[in-house]
Amino acid sequence: MGKIFEFTSVSAGYDDEIVLKDVNFTVWDNDFVGVIGPNGGGKTTLLKLILGEIKPKRGTIKYFKHEPNEVLFGYLPQVIGIDKKFPISVMEVVLSGLLGRKGIMGRYTGHDKRLALNLLQRMEIQHLKDKAIGELSGGQMQRVFLCRALISHPRLLILDEPNTFVDNKFEKELYELLQELNKEMAIIMVSHDLGTITTHVKTIACVNRQLHYHPSNLITTDQLAAYDCPIQIIAHGPVPHTVLHKH
Amino acid sequence: MLHFFSDIFQYQFILNAFLAALLVSIAAGIVGSYIVARRLVFLSGGITHASFGGIGIAYYLGFNPILGAAIFAVITAFGIESLSSKYNVREDSAIGIMWSVGMAIGIFFVFLTPGYAPNLMSFLFGSILTVTKQDVFLLLGLDLAMIIFFILFYYPILYLAFDANYARTQRVPEKVFSYILMAFVTVTIVLSIRLVGIILLISLLTVPPTIANLFTKKFKYLIYSSILIGFVGTITGLMVSHGLNVPSGTTIILALIFMFLIARLIRLIMDKVISIKQLSKN
Ligand SMILES: Nc1ncnc2c1ncn2[C@@H]1O[C@H](COP(=O)(O)OP(=O)(O)OP(=O)(O)O)[C@@H](O)[C@H]1O
Ligand SMILES: [Mg+2]
Repeated sequence: MGKIFEFTSVSAGYDDEIVLKDVNFTVWDNDFVGVIGPNGGGKTTLLKLILGEIKPKRGTIKYFKHEPNEVLFGYLPQVIGIDKKFPISVMEVVLSGLLGRKGIMGRYTGHDKRLALNLLQRMEIQHLKDKAIGELSGGQMQRVFLCRALISHPRLLILDEPNTFVDNKFEKELYELLQELNKEMAIIMVSHDLGTITTHVKTIACVNRQLHYHPSNLITTDQLAAYDCPIQIIAHGPVPHTVLHKH
Repeated sequence: MLHFFSDIFQYQFILNAFLAALLVSIAAGIVGSYIVARRLVFLSGGITHASFGGIGIAYYLGFNPILGAAIFAVITAFGIESLSSKYNVREDSAIGIMWSVGMAIGIFFVFLTPGYAPNLMSFLFGSILTVTKQDVFLLLGLDLAMIIFFILFYYPILYLAFDANYARTQRVPEKVFSYILMAFVTVTIVLSIRLVGIILLISLLTVPPTIANLFTKKFKYLIYSSILIGFVGTITGLMVSHGLNVPSGTTIILALIFMFLIARLIRLIMDKVISIKQLSKN
């Protein structure tokens, strides 16, 4: 088990606005970090920093790759700004997750297609494989993008609110799948649903302009207040009790 | 009109036009599919029309108009990019500005040029008489370069066009690709001017993929069928142009539009048949 990346006093933001200040954050193989925080708190910004889409204004981010060209991440964005009329099939979208691994001159083999098909099957949308991506419903599309994030079998899976658009049944299956995947890869998942966070993740990062790392999946309202992380605890079956437990 | 094929071997200019049509269909099929998929049609229209500025200046100073067009096309492509990214002008406004500024410069210089501008109409509406052997070789070079590029880098091109943000997380060099592709778009436009003319060029790029899109939703097939459709359209257009002595741009576009109407009808019938089949199954 090794480190995947390490933030050292990272500050970052857009133009002249600082969104995240003085963040120290390290993720190891097989971690499962739930990221919580209010709207606009900087969760997506944190993920973009990890992915290298934006650069820190101060501080450093260090990656611990096994080999220099390793693509560490599979990513499910929160908002996917795609053109619904774009001529691309579901199968092709899933295969695009392998792009980093294959390199820009890569070719796709029968093995890759079987991998994609297996994933689509797991997400129960294999019958849609030849459809144009724009012809899918919101939840179906979300599943396709999950397949895209998973197909490269990344060392770190980054999910920005994976439960948007999908129905309850699939959400439950998704968390089971994540538990299973977590045996082989680290996962960072943003969610507003503290109930699901506490039942499925191992540790919690509260992000609100700053990052407070909570090395357990149990968190109390007092702690949330101390972390300056005013998020609502939604009543969700028996879960809130564990949330409110002191530990 | 049937003289066309016997004339091919008799007159060099018809052979040139025929070869140019074949080669333009390939370039236009690839570039057209790309700009339609990425919604760069308006941008391409702007580059096309602005290139008239270069033609006007070339007339005035007396050098090759196509070279002038090429210079202006490149300036326009970069001008739009920097207007929208550095000066914060909205992209479609930037395109609109460059579009008309280029046309204005062109007409300004054409009017300053003493005497009559003989080939002006052919640059606006296309003419098969003006296609030279050199054009044919340039087109051949462009086609080869583009075919090789698209075969080698088909997937990064497709995935960047579809979702650039994701492609970037997969370490695809987005900037390099978009500059190369923009260069292909620009060169294709410039080298198609002789055959179809500035005013009508954008239809040559957009109608074939639009027809193909009625039947396929895959980028690869879109390219293949656009090339084929473009070829049928340009050859038909050339034949009519030759027979009736009408500018070739006009006849090519009309041939393509006619094909579009037929394709639309076929699609309509196919949809009807499929839905009747589905209903009777239940
Ligand atoms: N592209 C951008 N340009 C400028 N400012 C931005 C940009 N993206 C985000 N911001 C700002 O950064 C702050 C943090 O945004 P971020 O998207 O990281 O929040 P978040 O925690 O993911 O919120 P949410 O729960 O709504 O997804 C916000 O105040 C937002 O206005
Ligand atoms: Mg967010």
